[in-house]
Amino acid sequence: MSTMTLQEPARRFEELLGHGAVITDPVRLRTYECDGLTHHRVMPGIVVLPESAEQIAAVVRVCNEYGLPFVARGAGTGLSGGALPRADGVLIVTSKMRRILSVDAANRRAVVEPGVTNLAITEAVRDLGYYYAPDPSSQQVCTIGGNVAENSGGAHCLKYGFTVNHVLALEIVTPDGDIVELSDGDPGYDLLGAFIGSEGTLGIATKVTVRLTRAPETVTTLLAAFKDIEQGGQAVSAVIGGGIVPAAIEMMDALAIEAAEAAVACAYPEGAGAVLIVELDGPAEEVAHQFGEVTRICEESGAFELRIADDPAERAAIWRGRKSAFAAVGRISPAYIVQDGVVPRTTLPEVLASIDRLSREHGIRVANVFHAGDGNLHPLVLFDDAEPGAGERAEIVSGKILDLCIEHGGSITGEHGVGVDKSRYMSRMFSDEDLDTMQLVRCAFDPRALSNPGKIFPTPRLCGEVPGVRKGVHPLVESGQAEHF
Amino acid sequence: MKALRHEAEALNKTGVTIREADPGDAVAGVPPRWVALPETTEEVAALMRVSAEHDLAVVPVGGGTKLHWGGPPERCDLLIDTCCLNEVLEHATGDLIVRTQAGVTMDTLAETLGGGGQELALDVPLDGATVGGTIATATAGPRRFRYGAPRDLLIGITVVLADGTVARSGGKVVKNVAGYDLGKLFSGSYGTLGIITEAIFRLHPVPLDRRWITVELPVSGPAASGGARSFPGGLETLVAGLAASQAEPSAVELDWPDVRGGATVAALVEGTAAQGRALAVQTLMGEHGTARITGEPPAWWTAPPGEDVLLELRIPPALAHAALRAIAARELPARVRGSVASTVLMIALPSDVGEPAFAEFVSGLRGDLGHLGGRLTVLAAPRELTLRVDRWGPASALPLMRRVKERFDPGRRLSPGRFVGGI
Amino acid sequence: MDLELINDCVHCGFCLPSCPTYVLWGEEMDSPRGRIHLMKQHVEGTPMTPEMAGHFDACLGCMACVTACPSGVRYDRLIEQTRAEVEREHVRKPDDRALRAVVFQLFPYPRRLRAMRLPLRLSGGIRRKIIPRLERINPSLAAMADLAPPVSARVRLPHRVEAKGSRRATVGMLTGCVQGEFFPQVNEATARVLAMEGCDVVIPPSQGCCGALSLHSGQEEQAKRFARRTIATFERAGVDTIVVNAAGCGSTMKDYAEILEGEWARRAGAIRTVDLAEYLAELGPAAERHPLPLTVAYHDACHLAHAQGIRSQPRELLSAIPGLELKEISESAICCGSAGTYNLFQPEAARDLGDRKAERVLATGADLLVSANPGCTMQITAAIRRRGAQEIPVAHTAQVLDASLRGLGRVPTIPA
Ligand SMILES: Cc1cc2nc3c(=O)[nH]c(=O)nc-3n(C[C@H](O)[C@H](O)[C@H](O)COP(=O)(O)OP(=O)(O)OC[C@H]3O[C@@H](n4cnc5c(N)ncnc54)[C@H](O)[C@@H]3O)c2cc1C
Ligand code: SF4
Ligand code: SF4
Repeated sequence: MSTMTLQEPARRFEELLGHGAVITDPVRLRTYECDGLTHHRVMPGIVVLPESAEQIAAVVRVCNEYGLPFVARGAGTGLSGGALPRADGVLIVTSKMRRILSVDAANRRAVVEPGVTNLAITEAVRDLGYYYAPDPSSQQVCTIGGNVAENSGGAHCLKYGFTVNHVLALEIVTPDGDIVELSDGDPGYDLLGAFIGSEGTLGIATKVTVRLTRAPETVTTLLAAFKDIEQGGQAVSAVIGGGIVPAAIEMMDALAIEAAEAAVACAYPEGAGAVLIVELDGPAEEVAHQFGEVTRICEESGAFELRIADDPAERAAIWRGRKSAFAAVGRISPAYIVQDGVVPRTTLPEVLASIDRLSREHGIRVANVFHAGDGNLHPLVLFDDAEPGAGERAEIVSGKILDLCIEHGGSITGEHGVGVDKSRYMSRMFSDEDLDTMQLVRCAFDPRALSNPGKIFPTPRLCGEVPGVRKGVHPLVESGQAEHF
Repeated sequence: MKALRHEAEALNKTGVTIREADPGDAVAGVPPRWVALPETTEEVAALMRVSAEHDLAVVPVGGGTKLHWGGPPERCDLLIDTCCLNEVLEHATGDLIVRTQAGVTMDTLAETLGGGGQELALDVPLDGATVGGTIATATAGPRRFRYGAPRDLLIGITVVLADGTVARSGGKVVKNVAGYDLGKLFSGSYGTLGIITEAIFRLHPVPLDRRWITVELPVSGPAASGGARSFPGGLETLVAGLAASQAEPSAVELDWPDVRGGATVAALVEGTAAQGRALAVQTLMGEHGTARITGEPPAWWTAPPGEDVLLELRIPPALAHAALRAIAARELPARVRGSVASTVLMIALPSDVGEPAFAEFVSGLRGDLGHLGGRLTVLAAPRELTLRVDRWGPASALPLMRRVKERFDPGRRLSPGRFVGGI
Repeated sequence: MDLELINDCVHCGFCLPSCPTYVLWGEEMDSPRGRIHLMKQHVEGTPMTPEMAGHFDACLGCMACVTACPSGVRYDRLIEQTRAEVEREHVRKPDDRALRAVVFQLFPYPRRLRAMRLPLRLSGGIRRKIIPRLERINPSLAAMADLAPPVSARVRLPHRVEAKGSRRATVGMLTGCVQGEFFPQVNEATARVLAMEGCDVVIPPSQGCCGALSLHSGQEEQAKRFARRTIATFERAGVDTIVVNAAGCGSTMKDYAEILEGEWARRAGAIRTVDLAEYLAELGPAAERHPLPLTVAYHDACHLAHAQGIRSQPRELLSAIPGLELKEISESAICCGSAGTYNLFQPEAARDLGDRKAERVLATGADLLVSANPGCTMQITAAIRRRGAQEIPVAHTAQVLDASLRGLGRVPTIPA
């Protein structure tokens, strides 16, 4: 679509939202060309910055009128290109919708606008003795709307679950511009559950009711340093096998430690080939017992140094290295790819060994940071983009890591989503029937495929106007750009 | 008749065991014509393909414990009984997951998992319930307060759609955001979107120790006279205190067998330090009466308060006592039981309650509590009682739900009419 | 502009929530990540459009993004380079140009500032009447008038203050232009505290501006000139450590070696600049702390917290005073909007940020607001005044310590 044809919708948006809330200047537009995954870039046709659900609904209706695709964006920290804009469409940014609408401690819930950051919720309820449990490493910046779209998790989701387990209701703008409430209390299909994790392809969340979790009585954090990653892995298996569900159990390998050290001087034990962070929380007596078990297991597995944190400052010191790890690899490598595969926990040692082999074969360094408790790996594939061919080799290694995950019965993404980045791997993990069935949901919500098209699914599909009935040949099908469904 | 024989033949050709239905197979009063007993997902798919060809309406059944839940189907030709999909396929103890066929009963599953020191942290209100039925009706018991409902523990699912398509979503890992989560969509879908044939769950280690702490709350105030103003004393503060307690109970349940009388509140704590935490709970409860700690659940734990006329009320936790008052004020001999902390309450009425009284009870409570976020659904009730009431009550996303149904089952052949808005 | 430095940014967005302009407007172009993206566009050939320049001008230079960035992006260097580029390439509107000229000819020169003081010294009543009118004519002038605190009597500091008790060190002290002109009592307190803690304090009489204001506004050459002069002054005074009590000056002086080249860079490197709180914390207490029964809200000046990483030291010093209770101000990492000349060039944004900060300061219910930067203090009190709220007394960390060390029992605060 040419910019000419966007002029009219842009004018309509200005009427609806006011002049300042519509961006059409190319220099400004380009700052929205990518999210946290920077090698996919598209300059959006128009950016709008609405301030209410009604405005979003109005924008979406105009999009429907002109057949313009639209993409929601929160803080743009997504790592799978989920918020990659469309040149022929509209980017709807929720960054001005960041009011906490209500906090209801008695009912353990809060209602917030989609642009509120994950951490802001916890900050708003901390004094009441509550917090919002899912804690992606990006929690200080990522929005709850983005979390809903990606079903984000975090270090503590081993015990507490993901976004989907903590969202009680949503107000959404459907792809045809209606405002609808999806609530866990309502009878009928669990559309709330289906919407969460749909990466913006089923509509835009405009209001989020989250569950608040009681702050635990005790939190104890333990850092164990091991000679190598195998020993660390053993400790993880023994802990889980011993019937303990820690709040979090995270591991970093030597290269990741080096990066974190360079970034935030986290002062992890010298000479560690792997560090394990185990956090236990809950009733004091329970934690005391588990703590004894975990220390014993770590020592038996060969930990050469244990550090224990009981207060928030010490705990923050332990976590600092882990939480900064992604961004920190910028310090040891000019460029990198963050992977997000998942494998059954018991296969971790085997998979890590294979990754190591891949790394050596291709001469590409891989740093490993992972949520060890649930087998969610974040291999950071490091390369120098100035070196010819390095990027391609890194891509190959990165892809082969995903293949490894699928081979071991795992998943291509544990928390970052499919987006544009991994849609090509979807057909390795799922059959055509599986994907077609998922698309039925898409067609029910968004028959015209206007809401974040081109994400998640490898092949764009068109939904027949009426199921089962097909009218003529769609031009996109004819030109081979899409398949009919 | 000829067509009938033709259809039967086609069904038989699938190689799946088929038998003629008998009156005992009726679904909410509607008798099917045949019952099929498939053993694999592929067999279910073959049955569904034949059904599609011959426009047969299909209702899946597991243990049959909740077949009388939901509306009666508009039509019902084939009952797909999942009892022979009865294999626990894989219990990976190290990964804390289980993959199982949908016809496995929850009891059998628990036995298998218990062998490895693990459990699926869902309580089963009705004996004989299967995995598939539990998912399809989204039933959970007391421990939903800590562990959630089936949707929260289900990590992978295999379903067969109306046209025989076999689809999977999720997988064997707890953390997985690849693609849409069909498991969520099928949870509580009452057999209207497809047939669940396999499920993968995340598991929990069986807690080392469990304690139940129970307290009886007598009627307070000038209540001896009974009537609308009588109410179990201190319920509100007790429940709020328990829900926020650092002893972290896994469940807080109420049993209120007669709305004119007192009630019992019981809490469950689980873990290695269960005894110590139980003492903390006992102290909390002690302010309201004599609290007892036991190693066994009270007799009523998990069981629904009745069978034939059963309703479910969901409401934000802080309004639990307002809801209970509203129930009592209706002055019917209701029995109430359920999770007061997460607030899902079951209400049973006598089967001879009568249509007018029943209709008034349902619409009255919806009127009292709807604007507070209360949602009342009729789980089970004979057809005569529900002539004037909508079993499901309002759902704001109904138009979207209809569109989902239309995509999955355009011919309306899967449990038609059983669900919300006549879906 | 340095593409290498630009490419260090991995676009993670961790800096967004700490950026005051993003907090205000929620727009990518006015976030650190967006500005770095704009820099990149420019380096790759996009001309410096007025829109682009506008987003750079709107940056407060508060460096909260530097603190927040896990990848170690040197936004401080980047924005300095960019500002210089803006000055070179961007043709400003005439009135904007005129205002800038006035400010850069005024603020860095203590004597000229002194002359300006009188017209700004308006009584409360006149102030209330005149500001709304100035607002209509030119918001920046209104900002200037609004901010200027009443003038206190001039103080002449001795050239040297002897240590009390046994001498532990000899240090130089920077008087600073705004500090020296508007808040001389802070300099007095600083000198006394240092002396009571056992330092000989050398205060060269003919100090000029350190160059901070110029540097933060892209006036590179002016900044370098001031830097060289300051170095020479302290070299002549014969000290190798300069204690600074104004956050903005301290952060610039710590960068002298990077700003200057060759021989001057070496000379800069030979002198150590320390913030007062940093220095005292390092030195350890010697004098007795007398009680001050007060609740104190401590405000992190950006140029102290972000540019110099000094957050814990002032808090420790204050908390160590018996009877003093320290309150945290929520959103402490967000700039108050003062940011050097920002409240002059971007008055609306500065106002909004000031209001936001004032609200949070008042929410602490503290008796006293303490900060290490005169600009912040002016900005926050002005915002509190605008709200018509009960004014909160303000003081510099040095004044609180001074009051405790001298056993005054109360803090002689800066008159607002
Ligand atoms: C350093 C770093 C660490 C990270 N760590 C984690 C982690 O530990 N765990 C984790 O899960 N993720 C992590 N992420 C990924 C990312 O932060 C999450 O995916 C986050 O949820 C994205 O939120 P956002 O506001 O930035 O969304 P965006 O990136 O803006 O958008 C993400 C997706 O959500 C859609 N979307 C946004 N808002 C809405 C809305 N209101 N309604 C519907 N759709 C919407 C977009 O269209 C897009 O598809 C990390 C990212 C970074 C850069
Ligand atoms: S210096 Fe301050 S205003 Fe400028 S980009 Fe960084 S955080 Fe934002
Ligand atoms: S935090 Fe650093 S790396 Fe991340 S976007 Fe901001 S400047 Fe770039």
